[in-house]
Amino acid sequence: MQQEVVLAMLAKEPAHPYQLRARLDGALGPLSDGLNAGHIYVTLNRLEKAGLVALEEPGTGATRSERKLYGLTAAGQERVSQWLSELSWPKPDLAEFHLKLIAAAAAGLADPVGMVAAQRRELLRRLREAQEAALVEPEDSDASLLLEGIALRLQADLRWLEACQKIWAARRAPHHGSER
Amino acid sequence: MSEQTPRLSELWLIFRLAVRDLQRRPGQTVMLVVIMVAATAALTLGLVLRGTTAHPYQTTRQATAGPDVLATDFPSGGGPAAGRAALGHTAPLAHSAGVTGHSGPFPVAFPVLTFDGHTDAVLAEGRSSAPAAADQPELTEGRWVRPGAVVIERSFADALGIRAGNRITLDGRPFTVAGVAVTAAFPDNGVGFLEGSSRWPNPGLVWTTEATAASLATRQYPLGYVLNLRLASPGAAESFADRFDPGGYTDNTGGLYVIPWQMISRQDGLLVAHEQTILLMGSWLLALLAIGSLAIVVGGRMAEQNRRVGLLKAVGGTPSLVAAVLLTEYLALAVVAAAAGLAVGRLAAPLLTSPGESLLGTAGAPQLTLPVIALVLAAALAIAALASYLPALRAARTSTIDALADAARQPRRHARLTSYSARLPVPLLLAVRLAARRPRRVLLGSLSIAVTVSGIVAILFAHATLAESGSGNAAAAANPGLSDVGFISQTARENQVLLIVTVMLAALAAVNIIFITWATVQDYRHTAAVTRALGATAGQLTAGLSAAQVFPALAGALAGLAGGYGLFLAASQGGSVSQPPAWWLVAAVLSTMIVVTGLTSVPARLSTRPSITASLQADA
Amino acid sequence: MTSDCLVRARGLRKEYGRNEGLVRAVDGVDLDIGRGERVAVMGPSGCGKSTLLHLLGGLDRASDGELWLGGRQMGELSERALAGMRRKDVGFVFQAFNLMEELTAQENVELPALLAGCSPRAARRRARDLLEQVGLGDRAGHQPSALSGGQRQRVAIARALANEPLLILADEPTGNLDSAATREVLRIFAGLHAAGHTLVIVTHDERIGATADRLISMRDGVFVDETWLTGGTRGRLSTLIGLEDSAHE
Repeated sequence: MQQEVVLAMLAKEPAHPYQLRARLDGALGPLSDGLNAGHIYVTLNRLEKAGLVALEEPGTGATRSERKLYGLTAAGQERVSQWLSELSWPKPDLAEFHLKLIAAAAAGLADPVGMVAAQRRELLRRLREAQEAALVEPEDSDASLLLEGIALRLQADLRWLEACQKIWAARRAPHHGSER
Repeated sequence: MSEQTPRLSELWLIFRLAVRDLQRRPGQTVMLVVIMVAATAALTLGLVLRGTTAHPYQTTRQATAGPDVLATDFPSGGGPAAGRAALGHTAPLAHSAGVTGHSGPFPVAFPVLTFDGHTDAVLAEGRSSAPAAADQPELTEGRWVRPGAVVIERSFADALGIRAGNRITLDGRPFTVAGVAVTAAFPDNGVGFLEGSSRWPNPGLVWTTEATAASLATRQYPLGYVLNLRLASPGAAESFADRFDPGGYTDNTGGLYVIPWQMISRQDGLLVAHEQTILLMGSWLLALLAIGSLAIVVGGRMAEQNRRVGLLKAVGGTPSLVAAVLLTEYLALAVVAAAAGLAVGRLAAPLLTSPGESLLGTAGAPQLTLPVIALVLAAALAIAALASYLPALRAARTSTIDALADAARQPRRHARLTSYSARLPVPLLLAVRLAARRPRRVLLGSLSIAVTVSGIVAILFAHATLAESGSGNAAAAANPGLSDVGFISQTARENQVLLIVTVMLAALAAVNIIFITWATVQDYRHTAAVTRALGATAGQLTAGLSAAQVFPALAGALAGLAGGYGLFLAASQGGSVSQPPAWWLVAAVLSTMIVVTGLTSVPARLSTRPSITASLQADA
Repeated sequence: MTSDCLVRARGLRKEYGRNEGLVRAVDGVDLDIGRGERVAVMGPSGCGKSTLLHLLGGLDRASDGELWLGGRQMGELSERALAGMRRKDVGFVFQAFNLMEELTAQENVELPALLAGCSPRAARRRARDLLEQVGLGDRAGHQPSALSGGQRQRVAIARALANEPLLILADEPTGNLDSAATREVLRIFAGLHAAGHTLVIVTHDERIGATADRLISMRDGVFVDETWLTGGTRGRLSTLIGLEDSAHE
């Protein structure tokens, strides 16, 4: 679990771990299933050790860990502000696949066009899943917004794969005589 | 700053822009020209014909040395004694005061002529081969009289179809037709008013040798006499006639009958006036139709030109520049069309004037005088200006942005009509909705038909009135075997004029309908394709397109019935009006509807030929 | 795939022009579509997918080959019968909507029913129901100019359903729509599929294509690929996002 995410969730007020879990679920919708509950505790521990969160007075939950109430320290607040104003953006990770194709073609181990087609099928399936999930969500919910983003990214990747198909098929063509 | 040179370059720019615009849509330009040429040709024809029928009497009088006064005496019964008495009445006038020349007295017999199954009473005037000082008939065909051969008066000859060389009989005796001639001594619609005692219904006129005329006298119809006089002052002819036959020339009571030339001229004039009225009426209707068609085509064109107007304005053209360009286009077309129409009219006129003209100066040489040219040009320009002024103004006033976005005239919504049409069978549903999209065009189409049918109905009324006035003749009733030749020839001429006008009206109306249908089809292409994609059959669409034209046309035709009646009333100016048989009127409306249906269904059917996909891709 | 075959094409061809100008828009296509299937045809522009759809919908006649719809061979049908097929058996949704501007949404939707000879009352009722179905019940009296792009397309879809067609054909249905409107249309198509309608959608938008059970790729007038998107293992959705990875640091 990305640490800053948990930190930011405590920014408004201290919370129990199960409350944090609930907030995450709300924000991620169907994408949150499969998130291991344990990860939250592990992350909270790390943050505590780093001095970014601190335990508030113990609550009255069933287990000891659930009763714990975490809150931000001053350092934690600062880290959150810093994080919110950062302009970082995840890089598109296309290089790996790109190199895969080149390597396969160079070594003659696999047909790049076939690889592209297979990857395309996989992405289409993912896109389908994301869209089906989006249909279930209410119209302006956080989850549907996220799913839309996922769908759009997949669409962009699919378009790049279309371009790959064109290029690699053209490279193959001289060897295979006249093609449509 | 010199304002002169920018002016000139601006004019040149306007001209170039106008030419360019016309070149963009050659088909439309051609159509515009065709309509205007049809209208101007019709107008030219009308004016030229009017010109030729204007002063026929004077020309003939000049050529034949027509008499200033006619003195006649046609005895009824009494044998040779009565004939001699008639001679005694007429001959002395030749020496009266004021007479400068004379010819005759010529003997006149009253045989019955038969030719090709026709039987008619005629006046047979006996002449010598020597030329007369007054009234020497001018030959238009063949040669003068000789023993065994006669000359027929021209309108009479045309009415019965007699040509030089034919064989006729007079009172059963065979004669050859030596020739055909015209005269100013008798009006060309028959001499019936002369013999006064209504013995014969309007007999024709032939010239024979004096011996033949004398031999044709019978006991019952002895010889009469005709004396042609020339006066020192022709203008005094009426007072001269008054001296010998006071008041007589308005009412023949037998015996000496003296006729001044003015009366003959008036008789001719009546006939001509009638024809001219018809031609004038026809011209107005044609002008109306032409304006109508132009308005439709120009209106449709203007709608497309909106975008170009926007471009012109966006690059800095002022509204007045824009209007100038648009007007220039149409005025230029008008000039071209006027020239073409004048040419067509001039070429077509001889086809219409040669047969059936009895007076000189009318056969073969219709003139394009300067007034005619000026009038046709003015009319063409006026029509063009009228039809294009409003659209040009609107185009110039549209805001530039709207014009660029080509905010096409969106069809307006008619909620009631739409929901009402849902109850109709599919073709009618489509027809109602289609008509509702462009109501003004529907109105124009309806009006065109109304104008045309008005013309046809007025013509039918004219025809019926003419027939009625002929059959009311007592002499015709008294002599059932003899036809009223003068009346026949008059009717023939009038029918000819009526026919010309009807044909021109019908032609222009047909052009009108085709254009309206074509414009509608173009307009409707995209919607029609969508409707077909939704499952309407091509047949339903064709029927709908056609019905959208046909029903308004029916309304127009029915309105034309009333309109034609009113038009004829106005044109006849209080004269007698008799109603044509009902089935004529029904036939007129029915045949109009059949033609309209045919003319609209052809473009409608053609419009469903291209595939749906092709039409869908056409501009919405 | 269900066993009864709704659409069957063998060797379908459509050519335009002649000699040097000859264009083979569709060049030998074989296709089987069963009842209730949702098929998407994707390809670059000019590959002939729209032409193929027009052929399936009876908007155009094939130059060669055989095409059966609901058991009837379309090549043998007269123009009238073909029009009847367009009325009763096929619902077409266009990219440009092709609604009549001067009619309200309701009047647009009831038009196919009127063309099919329905009584005006029945047609109106059906139109109302369909508009409710696509979520535009309160806009029935609006003209297209007063509706957004997505709403217009929804009206067009309702219109396509007017005569309960066997087959719904959509030609780039979201081509003129923004993202939100696309979502609306996708929702409706999902609903139609769930209700058992057979859909054939032509698109160049992968998001639409991915919703189909069967995705056919077309190029230069022929099919070059076919992907089945149903079946296979469903991954956990959470693998689509990267939040977990940092947990392993």
